[in-house]
Amino acid sequence: MKPAERGRVETGGGEFGPAAAVGRGAPRRVNEPQPALVEPRFDGSPAQVNRQVVAIVREEWRVVDRWWTEEPVSRRYFDIVLESGQQVVVFNDEDQRLWFSQRGV
Amino acid sequence: MIACILIPGFELRAALRRRPRLALEPAALAPLPGTLPLIGPVTATAENVGVRPGMRLGEALATCPSLVLVEQDPAEAEQAWEEIVRRLEDDGFAVEPVEPGCLYFETRGVERLYGGVERCLKRALAAVGSAWDPRAGVAERRFAALAAASVARPGQLCVVSDERTRQFLAPLPLSLLPLAEERKEELEELGVRRLGELAELPGAAVAERLGPDGTRAWSQARGEEGGRVRARRPPAELSERLEFPEAVGSELTLRRALGVLLDRVLARPDRGGRAIRKVAVSARLVGGGSWRRTLTLREPMGEARRIRVALGPKLAELPAPATALAVELVELSESTGRQLELLQPEGAELHERLKEGLRQVRSSTGGGGVFSIVEVAPWSRIPEQRALLVPRDE
Repeated sequence: MKPAERGRVETGGGEFGPAAAVGRGAPRRVNEPQPALVEPRFDGSPAQVNRQVVAIVREEWRVVDRWWTEEPVSRRYFDIVLESGQQVVVFNDEDQRLWFSQRGV
Repeated sequence: MIACILIPGFELRAALRRRPRLALEPAALAPLPGTLPLIGPVTATAENVGVRPGMRLGEALATCPSLVLVEQDPAEAEQAWEEIVRRLEDDGFAVEPVEPGCLYFETRGVERLYGGVERCLKRALAAVGSAWDPRAGVAERRFAALAAASVARPGQLCVVSDERTRQFLAPLPLSLLPLAEERKEELEELGVRRLGELAELPGAAVAERLGPDGTRAWSQARGEEGGRVRARRPPAELSERLEFPEAVGSELTLRRALGVLLDRVLARPDRGGRAIRKVAVSARLVGGGSWRRTLTLREPMGEARRIRVALGPKLAELPAPATALAVELVELSESTGRQLELLQPEGAELHERLKEGLRQVRSSTGGGGVFSIVEVAPWSRIPEQRALLVPRDE
């Protein structure tokens, strides 16, 4: 299942958001990716995340997994610090061309 | 017989103790922040210019632009009330305080001591103190005693004999009844404005229209309601107070002060090793006024650390910086010991506390509010596949 589909079906509002009340009683995944608004640079690294300017890209890595299944995972992760001092991890889903933020990475 | 002592507008009188000059000016008790903007009791001068207790704040200020709003002082009111109750107890009256400004006691036990009901009541009024303008009412029934006290003049008593109770109650207004405002309005719309008119109605019709509360009010209006006086057990007088050199708003400092106060009050020899059932924390606020919170502990305990954990979060509710903080042990248990196991399994206490904490979270949030994190694939490179949130209902 793609992150966007999981976001729609299971969480929507985050782990403890409004959708959490709807899904009460059923197990849920921890640290589900959340859709993020990212403005990329020409090299694909994020310049702005959720309308906040990126100060430093601390680290960058790729996760390519489950390529042998019908739901392959191909993500480009960025560990960044925003100008506000907040630290976030975002990734670009290379199949869907969508950006997500994720905790617990 | 049952006696009732009534002090109308007690909270306002208590708040004005520090500013007696205001008692002669148009003044009213201000509403608490976050509550409906309705004024509390008012002074006689305010009443003379048309301001009534329970009026909307805007309306009251429009009626009397010079109206002074007096900030509520619950700690001062509680302390003043406690002093009154203790003075009465010292004079031999076994009192049942209902709310600040209203209490009951049985005269039977003290009539012979003071030489009759009237002397006994005069003694009680003197114990309360003339500065409070107390009124006393005596009757065979609680409600009749309350009604008698409410019609008595300040410093006077009104005795109602049992055979004249119904006749005495008949012309009095419905506002005396402990009924919800909507019920009183409903009765007024039906043309019932006096207790006598309510008493005349058939009991079955009242029960059908107004339910159990209405039936009780109907019995009271007929002077037939029962109900004994349940005298309180005088509380323990154990408190500690800390005055700050300057107002403190930092929660961390307040928590430390609370810890010191708890250590001090628990070390008092007059506690006699008894565990604490109920504890109160109060503060005097920087802009005048006071704040107080009472906490009944789940089980009697005497450990400062656990009481601090239970009481600490209350400090976050302080509306303003405090100039003084006090801790009072309101109720102590009778026993001095607690049966423990000789050997407790390792982690058993922690497990019990965790279970209890979870039970409290569940009871406040409803089912499905507590989860366990279960690792399902901690080695996975995909973060969201490593663990699951599983509802924990046990």
